[in-house]
Amino acid sequence: MSIEKISDPRQIRHWPGHMETDYIYTHGIAGERFFKEIKENGRITGTRCKHCNLVYVPPRIYCERCFEKLEEWIDVGTRGTIQTFTVAYVDIDGSKLKQPMIYAMIKINGTDGGLVHKIDEANPKDVKIGMQVGAVLKPKEERKGSINDIKHFKPTK
Amino acid sequence: MSAKIKKYPGHPLKSAEVREGKVLTSRWKPKAKYMWSAGVAMSRFLNELKKGKIVGTKCNKCGRIMVPPRVFCEQCFKSTDKWTYVKDTGTVNTYSVSFIAGDASRIKEPIIVAIIDLDGASPGMGIQHKISEINWKEVKFGMKVKAVWRPPEERKGTITDIKYFKPI
Repeated sequence: MSIEKISDPRQIRHWPGHMETDYIYTHGIAGERFFKEIKENGRITGTRCKHCNLVYVPPRIYCERCFEKLEEWIDVGTRGTIQTFTVAYVDIDGSKLKQPMIYAMIKINGTDGGLVHKIDEANPKDVKIGMQVGAVLKPKEERKGSINDIKHFKPTK
Repeated sequence: MSAKIKKYPGHPLKSAEVREGKVLTSRWKPKAKYMWSAGVAMSRFLNELKKGKIVGTKCNKCGRIMVPPRVFCEQCFKSTDKWTYVKDTGTVNTYSVSFIAGDASRIKEPIIVAIIDLDGASPGMGIQHKISEINWKEVKFGMKVKAVWRPPEERKGTITDIKYFKPI
């Protein structure tokens, strides 16, 4: 014998809840300056370690190899090379996208670092590793000091 | 710190700097919604509270009457056998006096939270609830208490359908 079970599903009780896990993230000294340069001057910047001869993009304030303080900020330009990429056919919720999105790891030319960003103004079939791309920035008045101030990267010659 | 770095650069951020937008920020509100199902036993327990009754389950093998009810006897590894009502009176098993509220603010009138072994259930079986209508200094282990229910029209089928327990 066992207890009679609930046969009417409406009698099953549940609790809805919401975990408030909001956050505000600050970008730190290097991140702050990096995003301000994009916002105010439309420039992508990096920091250089003269001992290791490395250019960090995004910039760091310390060299992760020799622990030296990095104080040489340089304008690294807006051009890069696709190192790897992926084409997404579904959005963050798993719904089908009308237009596929191309995400790429873009090595900024002349540096040892890169940015993850979208590739647009290109057919997904034509995107190749090693392809040259350039940043397309939003107009200054729309820039907010975030990575989305760069709209996307597009192929260049 | 290291041989090359004597002092951390920068300064600790003040909330005003963040609030007034003096530093760049990324903000996110994760949609961390959830739905917790009470299951068969707890659902009936809650529905019975709405009727002003406290229900438990009995295991015929060990004879225990369990409150809150469960569908499975964890001592005998078998399904429980029948629903059984218990009284809304009981004994204070243990209690705690809190001078801070849920948001950690200080309160003058403390909240007394107790584990109450309900009459009609097996020893050690009972529910956690508040105790009121008594000075906190007078609360004792083993004290007899009785549930103070909300009026039927205010009940929602939650544990707060019992407002608190009071001494008898």
